[in-house]
Amino acid sequence: MNVNRLRITQRLSRFIFPLLISGFLAVYTMQTSAASPRQKIDNKQLKMSITARSANQMAAFYEGREFPPSAIEATREACFFTVGIRNRLNDTLWHDITTWQILTTDGNIKPLTQADWKKTWQQRGVEQRFQSTFRWTLLPDSRDLRPGEQQGGNITVPRTDKTFSLLATFDTGADRKGKKYKVKFKNLRCLDEPAQ
Amino acid sequence: MKAFACTLCLWLITLNVYADTPALPKGILKITPRPAPALSLQNLDEETFTLDSKTGRWAFVHFWASWCGPCRREMPSIQALSKQSSTLKLDFFIVNTAESEDVVFSFLASVAPDINSLLDRDGLVTEKWQPRGLPSTYLVDPEGNIRYIVLGGQDWHKPEYTRFLGQLGQNRP
Repeated sequence: MNVNRLRITQRLSRFIFPLLISGFLAVYTMQTSAASPRQKIDNKQLKMSITARSANQMAAFYEGREFPPSAIEATREACFFTVGIRNRLNDTLWHDITTWQILTTDGNIKPLTQADWKKTWQQRGVEQRFQSTFRWTLLPDSRDLRPGEQQGGNITVPRTDKTFSLLATFDTGADRKGKKYKVKFKNLRCLDEPAQ
Repeated sequence: MKAFACTLCLWLITLNVYADTPALPKGILKITPRPAPALSLQNLDEETFTLDSKTGRWAFVHFWASWCGPCRREMPSIQALSKQSSTLKLDFFIVNTAESEDVVFSFLASVAPDINSLLDRDGLVTEKWQPRGLPSTYLVDPEGNIRYIVLGGQDWHKPEYTRFLGQLGQNRP
C-alpha cells in the first residue's frame, strides 16, 4: 500500500512539477514581455523612470486646465510618457531629446519636440496661455542637470500601436564634451487607442 | 603661549570671514549675476506690482502652477516665509504661470490663503525668466541682478533658509 502511494506520488511529481515550472515560466515570460506602464533604471550615473499615460488621462489633465477641444484632440494624436531623471554624477548631466531614438520594428522615429507642438498649436489657433501651460508639462527638449538635480516632464511620440524601445543618450560635463551615457527602455507601448 | 594666541587669532578671523559668507542652504545656487528680466504683473485684486531696483531691497521671485505637485507642497512654506517679509527685508513676487484667476483663487484658498499671487496670464513673463522648471525661485539683488537660483521646491520655513534670506536682507550675501 505504502509502495503504491510512493509510486503514485513519484508519477505525480514527474508530471506536476514540470507543469508547475512551465506555468510559472509562461506567466513570468508574459509579464516581462508585456508592455509595462512604468519602468525605471537606477545606476551610478542617473536614475530615470518612464511611465506611459493613456490618451484619456492626458485629456482629463488638460481639460481640467480648461484646454479647448481642438487642443485636446491634438494631444490624443500623440502618446505621452512621464519621464523623471535624477543626476547621480558629481558632474553636469545633459539630456537632449532630439538625440533620443524611438526604435520600432518599422524603423526609428523621433520624439516630438516643443517646436513640433508650437506648430500644431499655431495651426489650430490655440491661445498662448494653453501653449505655455502645455510647454511646462513637457520635459525640456534639452537641459543641463547639476549634480543631484532632478527634472520631470512628459515626452511625446507620434501615436503608434507597435511596441517600441527608447534609446536615450546623455552628455556630461559643463561643455557637454565629457563621457556619454546611454540607457534603453524596452517594451514601451502607448497605453490605449485614441477615443473616436 | 604665542603659538596658541596666533592660532586663536587665525581661528577667530576665519570664523568672522565664514560668518559673512555662509554655506548655501540645499538647492540654492549662486550664479554669475545677470540682469533680471522685466516683471510687472497684476495680482488677484488687479493691483499691479513691478520688480523695481529702486526699493533697495532683495526680491524673492517665485514661479508656480497649480498642476505642479512640488509647487503645491512648497506653497504653505512660502506663505509662512512671506509673513516675515518686513523682518527679512525681502520683497515677494509670487507668480502663477498661465492659469486662470478661478484656478489660482481656488488653489490658493485651499493651500495658502494668505498669498495673493501675481498672474502671468499668457505665460510670457515666465518664459522670459527661463526657469529650469516649475516651481522656480530667483533671488534678485537690490540692483536688479539675479544672484541666486533655487532648484526645485524647498522647505522655506527651516532655519537655514530664513537665516540665509535674513542675511541677504541685511545686504550681506
